[in-house]
Amino acid sequence: MKIKLISIYVDDQEKAAQFYTDTVGFKKKADFSQGPFRWLTVASPEEPDGTELQLALNNSPEAKAYQEAQFQQNRPAAMFFSDDVQADYERMKERGAQFTMPPTDVTASKIAILNDTCGNLIQITQLKQWQG
Amino acid sequence: MPDRNTYVPGHAFGAKVLKDGEKWTLTLVRELRHTPERVWEALTDPAHLREWAPFEADGSLGSTGNTVKLSTVGAPGGHVTETRVTRADAPKVLVYSWGDHDLRWELEAVDGGTRLTLWTNIGNRFIAMGAAGWHICFDVLDGLLKGVPMGRIVGPEAMKFGWDRLHREYANEFGIEVPNRPPWLSQKL
Repeated sequence: MKIKLISIYVDDQEKAAQFYTDTVGFKKKADFSQGPFRWLTVASPEEPDGTELQLALNNSPEAKAYQEAQFQQNRPAAMFFSDDVQADYERMKERGAQFTMPPTDVTASKIAILNDTCGNLIQITQLKQWQG
Repeated sequence: MPDRNTYVPGHAFGAKVLKDGEKWTLTLVRELRHTPERVWEALTDPAHLREWAPFEADGSLGSTGNTVKLSTVGAPGGHVTETRVTRADAPKVLVYSWGDHDLRWELEAVDGGTRLTLWTNIGNRFIAMGAAGWHICFDVLDGLLKGVPMGRIVGPEAMKFGWDRLHREYANEFGIEVPNRPPWLSQKL
């Protein structure tokens, strides 16, 4: 058993596809439709066969309420790991990403939080290395 | 008429794309050897739809004004949209929406059978997928009317029945690129 996919809600799949590829730098992995249903995933180019992020449309009142509540509580919908938060922050900022928290030292890690413009906060985490 | 064990879809046929700027409409035509009344029933009655359509309907689509919930079959996590039948002139014209797709069906009596035409708007990138999906659905509908029900072949299930090859044929015909393959296509079925 493996974790191969996580799912987040987005309010617009086309906009989300653009944000997660152009701004974040992921690559589209699957884009498939059956009638009005669209299965859309992206993956990191550093790990093309790694975990996929599904961008699911929040097309029910329950999905919308859940997504809004997460956002209002400042709770990130997903967390990505980076080897260099500062560099990723600058790269994404240059491409127009809005950060609600610049790179900040917290316990055991350095984190930054950005708004994905599709209804979510996303946390970028860099774990601190300890010298043994 | 093949059964589910022997069914393989034929080549792409009977489809056209009407391009109006960014707005594309898929048109599919299929001749069926049954009367418009029989075909109408298969298009509107939930028990018939369950045998061939890519969605479940929780009520009849056969009367103007009916409100019906359509559940996309095979969508991971479930996908439900509500529709209102905007036109139901039995057994000739049926119009309703499936999510943001408008579906317009016309049934024309020809030589004791029916010429069935479907118009639907689909995002450009997905229009060949839609054509391939409906193609297989219409084959199953045809079998159902002939008394050889194969059982619905939709969603990921269609991958086992030549959907990918059909998809490429329609994409080629419409002059569009085939988007990334869904993950389950790269896996062994």
